[in-house]
Amino acid sequence: MRTLTLIDAIKEAYQEELRRDDDVFMVGQDIRGGIFPHTKGLVEEFGSDRILDTPIAESGMYGVALGAAQEGMRPIVDFMFGGFSYVTFSECSVTTGQYHFLHGSQRALPITMTAGVGTGQRLANDHAMSIHGTFAHHPGIKVAMPSTPYDAKGMFKAAIRDNNPVMIPWHMGIMMLKGEVPEEDYVVPLGVADIKREGTDVTVLANSLQLQNALKVADKLHGEGISCEVIDPRSFVPFDLETVLRSLEKTNRLVVVDEDWESGSFANTVSAKVMEQGFDLLDAPVTRVTLPDMPVPGGYMEDYIAPNVNKIEAAIRSVLARIAA
Amino acid sequence: MNTALKTTTLSHEQKVKLFTNLVRGNHYDKMMYRRMMQGKLIGFYHPAEGGVAPGVGACSFLNQDDNLNPHHRGHGIIHMISKGVDVRTFLAEHTGKDTGCCKGRSAWHFSYPEHKVYQQSGFIGHNFAPTVGWGWAAKRRGKGQVVMNCSGDGSYGEGRAHESLLMAQNWKLPVIFFCENNSMAIFASAEEMHPLPDISSLAQGFGMPAMVVDGQDVFAVAEAALVAIDRARRGEGPTFVECKTQRFKEHDIGTPDLRGWEERSDEEHQQMRNREPVTLATEKVLADDVLTQLQIEDIHEAALREIEEVEAFADNSEIANPTEEELMAAVFAD
Ligand SMILES: Cc1ncc(C[n+]2csc(CCOP(=O)(O)OP(=O)(O)O)c2C)c(N)n1
Ligand SMILES: [Mg+2]
Repeated sequence: MRTLTLIDAIKEAYQEELRRDDDVFMVGQDIRGGIFPHTKGLVEEFGSDRILDTPIAESGMYGVALGAAQEGMRPIVDFMFGGFSYVTFSECSVTTGQYHFLHGSQRALPITMTAGVGTGQRLANDHAMSIHGTFAHHPGIKVAMPSTPYDAKGMFKAAIRDNNPVMIPWHMGIMMLKGEVPEEDYVVPLGVADIKREGTDVTVLANSLQLQNALKVADKLHGEGISCEVIDPRSFVPFDLETVLRSLEKTNRLVVVDEDWESGSFANTVSAKVMEQGFDLLDAPVTRVTLPDMPVPGGYMEDYIAPNVNKIEAAIRSVLARIAA
Repeated sequence: MNTALKTTTLSHEQKVKLFTNLVRGNHYDKMMYRRMMQGKLIGFYHPAEGGVAPGVGACSFLNQDDNLNPHHRGHGIIHMISKGVDVRTFLAEHTGKDTGCCKGRSAWHFSYPEHKVYQQSGFIGHNFAPTVGWGWAAKRRGKGQVVMNCSGDGSYGEGRAHESLLMAQNWKLPVIFFCENNSMAIFASAEEMHPLPDISSLAQGFGMPAMVVDGQDVFAVAEAALVAIDRARRGEGPTFVECKTQRFKEHDIGTPDLRGWEERSDEEHQQMRNREPVTLATEKVLADDVLTQLQIEDIHEAALREIEEVEAFADNSEIANPTEEELMAAVFAD
């Protein structure tokens, strides 16, 4: 099958959806010139009316999407870097998340939001932070992030077709990751986790760059006779807890890798849910690999604090050691 | 008024409509105030008394498919009834009833998508961002729809207001930035919070035409609004309309009536009450032979009857009582 990079798979999702539905359009800053390659060249096919650049005015920029969605269109908003969404957070999170519910479920807001996120570029906090946990904390917005080029195309298409607001960032650390991507139209539904590798000894829940890291660790440990089941949540909201609980029936041990600050993270939510709904399945405490609660440093220091293969391996060994003891 | 802008003359029918909506709006506001004092309104109420003319002038000649952001003062009722929205379901909402426009989930929020009144945000200035989107959608459709974006002097402190002015002017969007300047934002004097006496001075920096009108004179307001609406419909871009108006009451019921940190003076109250908008309009329609005393009384009568019905609808509805599961199922759309 044909291979594409993750970022080109996202672009293909945009292209197909922009062709399919005239109500779909994109708004952002410098997207016509392709500040990140997922929008590069789109303006040539779709024009400045549908690939819309705005001034550096995030509220106004997001407002194009919000108002147009209320008018029945299906905007895609590109925040460039995830942290920039915070500049208009009250609009893109609070008022967007409450819109449908608080107004009596009269109108849905079919807005797709995206941005590059994550460590790996050594760009420091405001350009390296994760945002999925923060958005997941605010009700009324679906949150998802792809880990492979295949998922990227299918999930972005699902997000654009969803009638609800969806925040779907992509991780800069796997932007150039290559993988098989079908040329035809397909959708990867939101809210469905994916077992990326089957195993029997320990379940590792990880996403995007960290999913790729977890797969590397699983490969390595396989040589030692340790069998890791690696699950990609794919969506944080709605979250497919069922798939994780089913896996735990087999492995009885869970490591959650979440590239986000420890406090208030998705990893914590999973840990609590598993404790409440799967306590009897556990042979060891749920163990988390997260960012420590400090602003993400830039430069080489980023490497010390970000989740990586060594930290994931250590966490897996620790949950296995506990049961052996 | 900016001399570069055209002027307009109101017809007899237009004057009657404005006077009628002014009387209705004023009675609606008093009803809301009364109900709040009687404990028959949930949440809070921000009384519009003294500042009812701008909303009537801005909204009485909008079409159903024009966008409106009603000002939060008066909880949007004056603007909405002037645009032709049946607000029975809003009072029901405000009283927590299952017939409410938001199914009793919102108290004082409203949404009437069929009238392009989409939202009420509790965040001041959060009309400005979607205004850009509404304007952009209207321009893209090219059907001559306009966006009437009403909010107070205080809301123009928000950065998003400036972003909205910038983008509306860049793209020549059919938006009316309609500022109801009552010189107050809770306790804060506009004089202290803005560097120039006219909020509409902001428009200059963007090259946007602006008008300043006597916001106590509903007819003057409507003339300005019609000029701005006409420009927008013709694709000539946004206009800033600033109405100098008043707030007779405290910011919201139960909050003290301060300017800065001191009680607003009797003198200030006396001065503003000398220019009560319904009294001014009544004098004018009589002097200009637009309406007779008898006709005026009928208009008041009809408004009071209308409001009785609106209240009865809310009072005869059941309190909304969904289960948590039902509410959870309503967070996302299908
Ligand atoms: C973001 C935000 N900040 C502050 C408030 C509190 N607040 C509610 S109304 C108001 C004053 C608004 O003044 P203005 O826009 O002039 O309208 P007015 O109430 O005078 O009609 C303030 C500060 C709020 N609701 N939202
Ligand atoms: Mg004010």
